[in-house]
Amino acid sequence: MSPPALPASIWQRELIEFEQRRRALVVKLLFPLLIALPLIYSRAAGVYAAMALTMLTATVGALGSGAVLSRERAIGLNVRYRLLPRRPAAVLLERVAAGAAIDLVQMLVVLVLIAFRQPTRLAWLPAILLAAAGVLAACNVLGAWASSLTRSPGEVMLAVLLPLLPALYLSGVFTAPAAPLLAAISRLLPFTYLHDALLGALTGRPQLTPWADAAAGIVFLAVSAALTGLLARRVLERD
Amino acid sequence: MPVLLSARRLTRTYPNGQGVFDVDLRLEPGELVALMGPNGSGKSTLLRVLGTAAAPSGGTVSWFGTTDLRDPAVRRRLGVVLDQAAHFEEMTAYQNGWFFARQFGLEPRIAAERIEDGLRWAGLWEARHQPVREYSLGMKRKLSLVEAFLHRPQILLLDEPTLGLDYRAELALIERLQVLSLTGTGIVIATNDVHLAERLCHRVLLLHQGRVVTEGRVARLLTAVAGSKELELQIHSPIDLEGIRSLPEVEAVSASGHTVSVMLARGANPAQVLAILNGTSDLVSTMRVRQPNLGDLFLKLTGVPLQEEGAR
Repeated sequence: MSPPALPASIWQRELIEFEQRRRALVVKLLFPLLIALPLIYSRAAGVYAAMALTMLTATVGALGSGAVLSRERAIGLNVRYRLLPRRPAAVLLERVAAGAAIDLVQMLVVLVLIAFRQPTRLAWLPAILLAAAGVLAACNVLGAWASSLTRSPGEVMLAVLLPLLPALYLSGVFTAPAAPLLAAISRLLPFTYLHDALLGALTGRPQLTPWADAAAGIVFLAVSAALTGLLARRVLERD
Repeated sequence: MPVLLSARRLTRTYPNGQGVFDVDLRLEPGELVALMGPNGSGKSTLLRVLGTAAAPSGGTVSWFGTTDLRDPAVRRRLGVVLDQAAHFEEMTAYQNGWFFARQFGLEPRIAAERIEDGLRWAGLWEARHQPVREYSLGMKRKLSLVEAFLHRPQILLLDEPTLGLDYRAELALIERLQVLSLTGTGIVIATNDVHLAERLCHRVLLLHQGRVVTEGRVARLLTAVAGSKELELQIHSPIDLEGIRSLPEVEAVSASGHTVSVMLARGANPAQVLAILNGTSDLVSTMRVRQPNLGDLFLKLTGVPLQEEGAR
């Protein structure tokens, strides 16, 4: 038997616990596969696949992080994190980054499926990866914030979906924004770029270039990091 | 003497109006201080503020001369065990210990030595590779103590440290705390265990409804009740508590379940209480007179018992 891995940092601890929860690990990896496989390989139009996969990515990021943080608050782990000799922003940033990275690993399987389905549009894969990272980071921050408003993991779902669904609509995921104002708003939301990159890969009819979607993903990673710093005390110091 | 921890008019309130109010406290190196009070008296809240887990609503707290509760340099010198024995349940005790040791800045070699030393001390070494979710509450409490000791903090703040521990573990803990105190660690314990406080602590703060009702050295506090006696009655059926309370020799009466405690004034004769029970003495199954302790002092000062019946 190999010796157990020893976590020295928060991200290592997250990875070890993720790996040790075998059943959760299998569910987490199978879940996007089961949704993405029929979407990408059926005769359904690519536009529906792009819509569903954008929603899936957003939900995975926000619900996962919100539910975990809410559960940790309920059982007293949030206080243990609070008492670590580190600034709250550093603690939450590492937790959110680890959560988003694990979510991204989940979504890699979707990328592989797209790559096999559309081998001529591989240029879109880095754009999808970075835009998905931006969405997952932003949604993990949303989940963290929602966890500070709620008392149980169940309540987190409501607190997350209330802002998430209008944001997805405003991003043009369901229907392209016609009015100039709505179009301008859509540019401020991370889902727009993931949706566009998926459209690029699955339909060949995107609004933007792969570079623009990839760059937006990087920008939203930075914005999420800044928001995490601002929210850290609220999230970590609420009982 | 340098002060490790100092609180002035410390207040922490909750929306329901409960909390702690205007508490003054100083902790010097090597001092052992007990925060005592019944459930809901505010001792856990006070410990949370002193341990930087909660910010004060009013007043000031300073640790090693700084009032920044989020300062990593402060938290690195604190060891805190709160009421919930929270751990990463999927990980083993060793992994939990390792995580906290490394987060508190211990080098891998030192961390390994101290984790082994701590787990052996707590009797958890054999179960070190077991996931914490399989641990009993007592084992989890022991693991919390081990984790709090790992980085050799200068201040230890422990909420009900003997809760869930068997007698042997309790003795081992008392011994360890005495050694730590001798080596300069300042220790604050929230407890309503009178015997633990009297045996271990140098100073006591008695809290009632969030306020300090009295504080001082244990021996000095006990002089306030010296010469008085406590009469403890085990009863089958209700007895005339008001009649007993009205006696001039009686300072306080408390009843909890089948136990009635009567605090008698200095020089009072227990027979005067027994006279009230005349004709109903068959309601009393056992009776005992004992020297008063901090619990009796608390009862005298507040009129309410310090401990629940089961905790006596």
